[in-house]
Amino acid sequence: MPKKGCLGCSFPVLIGVIVVLLALVVIGLLGGALGHSFFPNLNIPDWLPVQKPHVQLPAETVFHVFDFGVTNSIIASWITIIVLVGIAYAVTHRTRLVPSRLQSLIEFALEWMLNLCKDVAGEKNGRRFFPIVTTIFLFVLMNAWLSLLPGFGSILITGPEGEPVPLLRGANTDINLPLALALISFVFVEYLGISSLGGLHYMKKFINVSRFLTGVGQLFRGKLKAGFGGIFYGAIDIFVGMLETLSELIRIVSFTFRLFGNMTGGEILILMMMFLVPWVLALPFYGLELLVGLIQAVVFSGLTLVFATVAVTPHGGEEA
Amino acid sequence: MTPETIKLIAAGLCMGLGAIGPGIGIGVLGMGAMQALGRNPEARGPIMTNMILGIAFAEAVAIYALVVAVVLVFVA
Repeated sequence: MPKKGCLGCSFPVLIGVIVVLLALVVIGLLGGALGHSFFPNLNIPDWLPVQKPHVQLPAETVFHVFDFGVTNSIIASWITIIVLVGIAYAVTHRTRLVPSRLQSLIEFALEWMLNLCKDVAGEKNGRRFFPIVTTIFLFVLMNAWLSLLPGFGSILITGPEGEPVPLLRGANTDINLPLALALISFVFVEYLGISSLGGLHYMKKFINVSRFLTGVGQLFRGKLKAGFGGIFYGAIDIFVGMLETLSELIRIVSFTFRLFGNMTGGEILILMMMFLVPWVLALPFYGLELLVGLIQAVVFSGLTLVFATVAVTPHGGEEA
Repeated sequence: MTPETIKLIAAGLCMGLGAIGPGIGIGVLGMGAMQALGRNPEARGPIMTNMILGIAFAEAVAIYALVVAVVLVFVA
């Protein structure tokens, strides 16, 4: 008998679902912080209200290994590594010509990433940049999405000073990981620039004294007008070179804070929503967090790709 | 005016004023993308990809303001 009615369910099932949803909304409104401020005298069971979220920006250490404090975000990044290696092993240890479902999903993601690399960087360079860009993408994406699972931030363990400490915390919310990824991306871009263009030619983008010195030389040889023109434009060139250097270094700070701010802001948002209305209000924000995790991963890897492409093109592009 | 009060006011001002610029910027980006999409619906792929990239750049500035506000409320 074909399923009729709304959303494939029969009418009584739909009524049941709506009633359960309304009950959850009402219990959430009464039990949370909003209900507590409107109706302070209801006696609600002990397990219902959520305590006020205590946000701590530096990650808490869980145990010590030879004087190095292992924080809960390090443990979460280990879990991400295990999940990524597990998926990679499961997909590749017996690849078939007609792919299984997991294999075709991973192939879709990798092919999308390869097309992005080839679109931005061209055919040859696209393949060259593909490994590290995709690694950064998958690592940031898995960190962001795995931190939405239940258990991250709620499983407590006694820390080194005796107070309860969350066992797991989203790895992107510790500022060290975005900083490490930004430094890796910076070193990668500089290494590619120097190895493709030669060290001296690459440095000419930042220390651009050739026109200035030509102007000084012309001044000494007696051509006053050309000399002063050369000196003036050469000074502008030197200033632009300093600005380029500064913008390369500021890129590290901007990558770090973009990823860290998005992830930490999302986590604080979900915690606050769960504090206000416990069971229901956090659901749209979980959807937003999924989207934000994906966008931040694409932006981080896409920007690395764009800056690597810019670093590899020869400097004389605009004069040719 | 205790320091507590001023920190809270500062956090609110920081996030509020810091979201004006990126909000306008994202709106302008969206307008450009809609106009481009209206002229040339076949170029939907590159238009959307570049729009998302531009929006992430603009949103990063708002996120810097959010980080300062969070530090003001919870750390300082």
